Amino acid sequence: MPNLLELRDVTFAYDGSTSGKPFLLDRLNLGVQKGDFIVIRGASGSGKSTILRLICRLHSPQSGSILFRGEPVGSIKPSILRASISYVAQIPVMVEGTVADNLLLPFSFDSNSARPAPDVARLESMLALFYLQDISLSQPAQKLSVGQKQRLALMRTLLLGPEILLLDEPTSALDKESAVMVFSIIERLNAEEEKTVITVTHSDYSPSVPHPKSFMLRNHKLEQV
Amino acid sequence: MNDGIINISLTQLLLALLFILVAQITSFVYKLGLNRDITIGTLRTVSQLFLMGYALTFIFKAENLWLTLGIFLVMVFSAIFIVKGRVKEKEVPYMLPTFLTMVSSYFLTAYFVSIAIVGVSPWWEPRYFIPTAGMVIGNSMSALSICIERLFSQMRQQRDVIEMKLCLGANYKEASGEIFRNAVSAGMIPSINAMMGVGLVFLPGMMSGQILAGTDPLIAIRYQIVVMFMLVGSTAMSAIIVMNIVRRRCFGSGEELLLTPR
Repeated sequence: MPNLLELRDVTFAYDGSTSGKPFLLDRLNLGVQKGDFIVIRGASGSGKSTILRLICRLHSPQSGSILFRGEPVGSIKPSILRASISYVAQIPVMVEGTVADNLLLPFSFDSNSARPAPDVARLESMLALFYLQDISLSQPAQKLSVGQKQRLALMRTLLLGPEILLLDEPTSALDKESAVMVFSIIERLNAEEEKTVITVTHSDYSPSVPHPKSFMLRNHKLEQV
Repeated sequence: MNDGIINISLTQLLLALLFILVAQITSFVYKLGLNRDITIGTLRTVSQLFLMGYALTFIFKAENLWLTLGIFLVMVFSAIFIVKGRVKEKEVPYMLPTFLTMVSSYFLTAYFVSIAIVGVSPWWEPRYFIPTAGMVIGNSMSALSICIERLFSQMRQQRDVIEMKLCLGANYKEASGEIFRNAVSAGMIPSINAMMGVGLVFLPGMMSGQILAGTDPLIAIRYQIVVMFMLVGSTAMSAIIVMNIVRRRCFGSGEELLLTPR
C-alpha cells in the first residue's frame, strides 16, 4: 500500500545554516500509512515537535522532501494542506468569545468555505463525545480549564475532518484524568474512523490500539522501536 | 498695530533659551536624567533649522526641479532612518519596501496638493512643494513607525494564535487580520485625533506660523484644512501599502510565520 505521508531524507536546523552546528534532524525518514497510529518519543528538545511542524509546513526543511499522497507538501496550497493534515499544539489556544465561536472559527476561513458549518445539535453531541457535556456552547472559552481547552481544541480540529492528526504532546499540560480522556478520544478516532494519528510525547504513553508504531528520535534520526 | 512680519533678532532668539533653562532645571531638580538630551536637542534644533533656513533660501532662489526633488529624497531618506531607529527588527527586511512606498506615496500626495488643490505652477514650486512634503513626511513617518513596530510586536506576542489559525486552514491574511487592523489603526489614530482637536484644543504649527507671518486667518485655516486632510490621507495610503508588504514578509512561502519568539 502506498504511503499516505512520507518524509524522505529530511534535514532541518533552526538557524537554517550549515555553520558547523549539527542539524536538529538529519536525513530523517518516515513512512505513514492510512490508519496508522504513530507515537514518536525522544528527549526534550530533541526535535519531536519540529517533525510535526515540518509536516504541516510551519517550518521548511533545509533539504529532503515531504510527500502527502505522493505530492510534495510544498506544491499544495498551505491552507488546503493544513485542513487535511491538522496540527494540534501542546498548549491549547482559544480566541476571545464563546465555546461556539471557537468551534466555528475554522469555518470563517476562505479555504473552508465549501465545508458546511456544524449546527448546534451536532456541536452539542460532539461535546458529549469529548467528555465536555458539562459545558455550554455559550460560555466563554477562555475560562475553561486547560484540560477542557485541550479537548475543545481537538474537537475544533476534527470538525474539519482532517485525514491526519498531528498531536504535539497533547497531554503534557493536563492532569492524569484529563490525559486519559484525551488519549481515549484519539484512540477511538483511530480505531473507529481509521483516522491517521501521529503524536509526539516524552511520557511512557502506550496506545491501546491494535498496531501502534513507536519511534524514538535519537541522534537526529528516527528509529522504530 | 503692525500688519507685517516682526523679525526676531538674535538677542530675542537667545531670550527664548529661557524656556530651555526651565526644562533643564526641571530635569536637574527632579533627576529626570534628560539634561544631556535637552542640550543635544537644543543644539540640533538650532543648527538643523538654521541649515535648513539657508538651504531653503538657496533652493527658493534657484527654482530648480532636480534640486527640489533632491531635497525631497533627502527628507524621505532621513525619515526612513528615524523609522529604523524606532523599529528594532532584524528578522524581516522591511526597510526597502518602506522607503519605496514612502517616496511614491508622499510624492503623489505633495504633487496632488500642489497641482490640484493649491494650483501652484510649476507643480514643484519649492516654496509650496517642500513644506507640503515635509509635513507629510514628518507626520506619516511617526505613523509608520507605530504601525510597523506594533505589527512586529503583536505578531511575536500572538504567535500561538496565528499558528492556531493557520493550522485550522486560515491563510496568512486571515491569521493575522486582527493584528494588522489594530496596527494600522494605532498608526492612524493620532492624525484622526488631531482632526478632532484642531481649532478647539490647539492651533496647528503651520496655521499659527502663517498667522504670525501676517496671513489672513481665513486663508490660513483653508491651508490648514487641506493639510489636515492631506495628513490623514497620506498616512492611510502609506500605512496600508507598507503594512501589506511587511506583513507578507513576516510569512514564508508556506505561509509559516517567520518571526521567532524573543
